[in-house]
Amino acid sequence: MTRTVHLTVRQALLEQRSFWRSAEYALFTFAFPLMILLLIGAANSGSHLPGTDIKNTTVFVPGILAFGVIVAAYVNLGSKVAVLRHDGVLKRIRTTPLPSGAYIGGLLVSTVATVISITAATGMIGWLAFGAVPRPGELLALAGGLVMGTMCFAALGLAISSVITSAESAGPVAYASFLPIAIISGVFDPTFSGLPDWLSRLVATFPVKALAEVLQNAYAVRPFPPWALANLALWTAAGAVFALWRFRWQS
Amino acid sequence: MTDEVAVHVAGLRMSFGATEVLHGVDFDVRYGEVFCLLGPNGAGKTTTLEILEGFRPPTGGEVRVLGLNPAAQPARLRERAGMVLQECGFPRQARVAELIDLWRSYYPNPRPLGDLLEVVELTEVRNTQVRKLSGGQRRRLDFALALAGDPDLVFLDEPTTGFDPEARRRCWAAIENLRLLGKTILLTTHYLDEAEQLADRIAILRAGRIELVGTTHEVAVRAGLATRISFTTPSALRRGQVPLPDGIDLAVRGPESVCHTGNAAMTLRLLLAWAAEYRLGDLDGLAVTAPRLEDTYLQLTSTNGDHA
Repeated sequence: MTRTVHLTVRQALLEQRSFWRSAEYALFTFAFPLMILLLIGAANSGSHLPGTDIKNTTVFVPGILAFGVIVAAYVNLGSKVAVLRHDGVLKRIRTTPLPSGAYIGGLLVSTVATVISITAATGMIGWLAFGAVPRPGELLALAGGLVMGTMCFAALGLAISSVITSAESAGPVAYASFLPIAIISGVFDPTFSGLPDWLSRLVATFPVKALAEVLQNAYAVRPFPPWALANLALWTAAGAVFALWRFRWQS
Repeated sequence: MTDEVAVHVAGLRMSFGATEVLHGVDFDVRYGEVFCLLGPNGAGKTTTLEILEGFRPPTGGEVRVLGLNPAAQPARLRERAGMVLQECGFPRQARVAELIDLWRSYYPNPRPLGDLLEVVELTEVRNTQVRKLSGGQRRRLDFALALAGDPDLVFLDEPTTGFDPEARRRCWAAIENLRLLGKTILLTTHYLDEAEQLADRIAILRAGRIELVGTTHEVAVRAGLATRISFTTPSALRRGQVPLPDGIDLAVRGPESVCHTGNAAMTLRLLLAWAAEYRLGDLDGLAVTAPRLEDTYLQLTSTNGDHA
């Protein structure tokens, strides 16, 4: 048991070191959400949600928190595992006595570390630049939402990695499969509205909007449908089942 | 039970769907030897190796590796056997020493890091990122990782395919280093010179069958190839002043006389007696050439039908 934990931690450390050495991963994971945060945040600062005294940025910042979780857990982990599989690294791991649990565990621990750094960066900038802070007493709810979101999108990341067929398409597929949903979920635009009824209902079935709503509720009192949590739990389970079913050690 | 040999393969069969690719393969690898599975592409070398490594359960036959059943006990096998697969990537941003050190942590009794770097001659690039290594350096890093757990047995699947001569030479040197450490090595290759250079014993695998097993010399002899004996044709013989020797199939080809024999010693005795009898001296330019693996291999793979 302690050996597995030790091996998991060593694996995670190498993953983290590799992550920070790799310009494209680190840059994309951090620069993309933070740039959006600053640019769109600046455009929204000073305005309020229609008919309320809630500042746009107070809802926008937790939306970008959700975006960061998705990029770190879903896009990064998903494309990373696809590349590792394509490059034959997973196959090489199978030639060693390393327990598979310790290897996958290491990847997940490293993903959690990335989520924590990007969440901290987004939260700090949101606070310093736009004065957006969680509601008093809601920090625990925020943390809980981040944990659920990370679990959900890590499971979906492992699932999508099995669908990606080449290293070259890994990043694009991972982004393309969630960015449109993020846009029509209103993650980048707190006042986003005017979707046809059927489309907004469809969008609400995806976990992107659910995670955004859970986190937004920790920042401002929002209509908070309890099924956003159920939605995340269901997608977590679906992602985990698919990942276990389809996981392959070689392409 | 079969622990006196490192690898025991008997009657090994493997089918993919309706196609049988291994039709009853038999060979043993002794402890401490370098054993080479030689054969053309598609002969079933990699499939055989994958079965021995525990990646595929065989369709039939008996397989024991270090006394273990690979398909049933893969985890125990991997603690004691290092594996170099044909094409296998590395984490791109890892550094050489860092990666070897991580691999060492997977094993109960790892070899020291500095020692591993030295065996594969990667000490000078120990802090280089893996993606910056050359093909030959990557292959030697493969060896280092396979060796990290100080295994008793090392599998090498086509270790130098696609390499330039310099990279091959350094790769061979690294394999020689493994041999000096007393490791049992089972390697596959389709290069004759590689088998000849490295192997203590060779098995020729063709179309899913072992054609021959033995040392380089034994393989050639068992293939029915003769030793070649030649000498400069004495002028007396060329002028027809002496008769041809009895019991020897000697061919006079102008300046050179040649015969082929399955029993070199006997033929030489007859030849020298004949030379003494007719006062031909010590036979200038006398040369005895053992049958070469290349001749064996070419004969087997060209006359015995097509590849699988």
